[in-house]
Amino acid sequence: MSEASLFDYRDVVGPDIIEELMILASHVGDRSIKMVNSTAVGGGVAEMLRRIVPLLSELGVQVEWEVIKGDEPFFEITKAFHNALQGKSRVFSEEELETYLRYNDMNEQEMKFDQDLIVIHDPQPAAMIRHHEHRKNRWVWRCHIDLSHPNEQLWRFMAPMIERYDAAIFTSALFSPSLKIPQYRFYPAIDPLDDKNKDLKETYIDEVFRKYKIPRDKPIVTQISRYDPWKDPVGVVKAFKLARKYVDCRLLLVGDKAADDPESDTILAKVEEEAGDHPDIHILLFSPSIATEINAFQRGSDIVLQKSLREGFALTVSEALWKRRPVIGGAVGGIPVQIIDGHTGLLAHTVEGAGLAIRSLLNQPDFARQLGENGRCRVKDEFLITKNLKRYLLLLLALDKPRRGTVFLNS
Amino acid sequence: MGEVLQFRSSASLEKLTGTKAYTLAELLLMIRTCTESSIFYHTFSAFLKMREVRLPYNSDFASWVYGSLNERALAEQMMAVDFFEYNTVESLRERLTGVIEGYRAFKPSAFEKKADEPFYLHDVQRFVYLTDKFAYDLTSFREILPTISLYSLYYHFIESRLETKFQCDDFSIWIEESLAIPELAKRIRGIDIHVYTLEGLRERIIGIIDEYILVRDNGSQKKRGKRKMRDEE
Repeated sequence: MSEASLFDYRDVVGPDIIEELMILASHVGDRSIKMVNSTAVGGGVAEMLRRIVPLLSELGVQVEWEVIKGDEPFFEITKAFHNALQGKSRVFSEEELETYLRYNDMNEQEMKFDQDLIVIHDPQPAAMIRHHEHRKNRWVWRCHIDLSHPNEQLWRFMAPMIERYDAAIFTSALFSPSLKIPQYRFYPAIDPLDDKNKDLKETYIDEVFRKYKIPRDKPIVTQISRYDPWKDPVGVVKAFKLARKYVDCRLLLVGDKAADDPESDTILAKVEEEAGDHPDIHILLFSPSIATEINAFQRGSDIVLQKSLREGFALTVSEALWKRRPVIGGAVGGIPVQIIDGHTGLLAHTVEGAGLAIRSLLNQPDFARQLGENGRCRVKDEFLITKNLKRYLLLLLALDKPRRGTVFLNS
Repeated sequence: MGEVLQFRSSASLEKLTGTKAYTLAELLLMIRTCTESSIFYHTFSAFLKMREVRLPYNSDFASWVYGSLNERALAEQMMAVDFFEYNTVESLRERLTGVIEGYRAFKPSAFEKKADEPFYLHDVQRFVYLTDKFAYDLTSFREILPTISLYSLYYHFIESRLETKFQCDDFSIWIEESLAIPELAKRIRGIDIHVYTLEGLRERIIGIIDEYILVRDNGSQKKRGKRKMRDEE
């Protein structure tokens, strides 16, 4: 986990970007913000907050982060909420819904909400808003999940609560439901100074490949993703085999094994079956992976694949693009936002398309290099943590000045 | 000495509107009825996506017509609309709707197509602010240009037209009015923004100023030389 200060980002994004963040922060003044989520460690939201909170603080914003408390029954229900809000069918009992509300009430009693802006992350703490009908401050719900096709019963229960907020934030228009409150779009972001993304020495990259016995004697095509049917690892092997008929290369599949995912074993078995005893296919399973090694695998690859069939945002694409890797991505979820086909990477809709894209990139190294360079620029512009800092500063200013049109901050 | 130029910059917070279009008829209605800031976001703001990378389109509307409806002729016409001929969003809105309506007469069947992926209408709240960068004369302007952010460059060269209602950028106005160098202002005003990324635009402006300074200095040297020769004679 990066502990970098704002100053450290100057060399990465440019001093002009940091200077402008400081100017915006000066307009934010002494406004305060409180972030509330359900876990302090593990998971993308906690990871993001661990970086955003100190950096906002460094910009002079009074920021506090608090985590709700709960035990197994509560988190089991909220896990089911998470899946159902992303479309999984399930019927929730009255008792389960009441348990959810009761834990929210308990947490609400223990917390203070004096800040100018309260940002509640995801569904777990969302019901605390019910106790703040006549508030003076602003409450915003930051939803990190795909709400485009929510479970109907659960959404009927949640939507009236969400509409009590002053605004909601979604990752993409693709993931937002119909709501009566204003909605903002915050793309997720990577931290360029994090272990997963920081610059590495070539000797370390070599060492990692040697450690896992992956020869770097020919081009390496890599997909780093869970062994999950939606990431289509079997399709990746098929695409590689199609390309391998024409170009000499290796395939590296790297995946984490999720402790609570029994399906991953089945998928892994299918991947191994498809791979057979092909000497150029390397399958690695981690539990869990080491961030700098994942970084090394991405940096040491000639092409990075993210051939998903269904996706959330797929920040792995931005991670690879940031490392100037040419990326081939499935045209689903948030991938096309990151990959502008033919300019910042290539999109594939089928196994055959992915196979062709591998051949195309390995045979046209200049084109592949250009895609990688363009991809890095795209990430620098939109998907770095500094952009999210800016979004939070603007949100603090926007909620104060909700009128439409342009706000001149110096007038 | 003319007025000092204090550079401004701008930032935008993107909003989701929940409005979608699957067909050209829906897109047409959307463009007719959406806020000015939505039109601004999907047209002028597209230049922000070309900060360093040249992208194949300059308008989100055109991009969707091309990629999702595969109506390339219409997309081309929409891309060819020169935003800089329109110093109000309303006039740009009229032009865009005119182009789509014209296409209906040309190819009515295009209006029967339904895209798999809809066009998602966004809106935007813009913030404009002063930076701590100043230019006092041409030399300081030339020196500061490489250091301003691309957002600042974008604001002065593209976005500010909507505020000044002039069909030209802030820089050429300042160079003409405050520095009294109309010939340089004219060259900067003549830059075709559609063929540059923002980084490329910055380089082009710097290139034009450098050429101007070189010619000016050579000219002064020659004049000095001639004067010297006259004096010696």
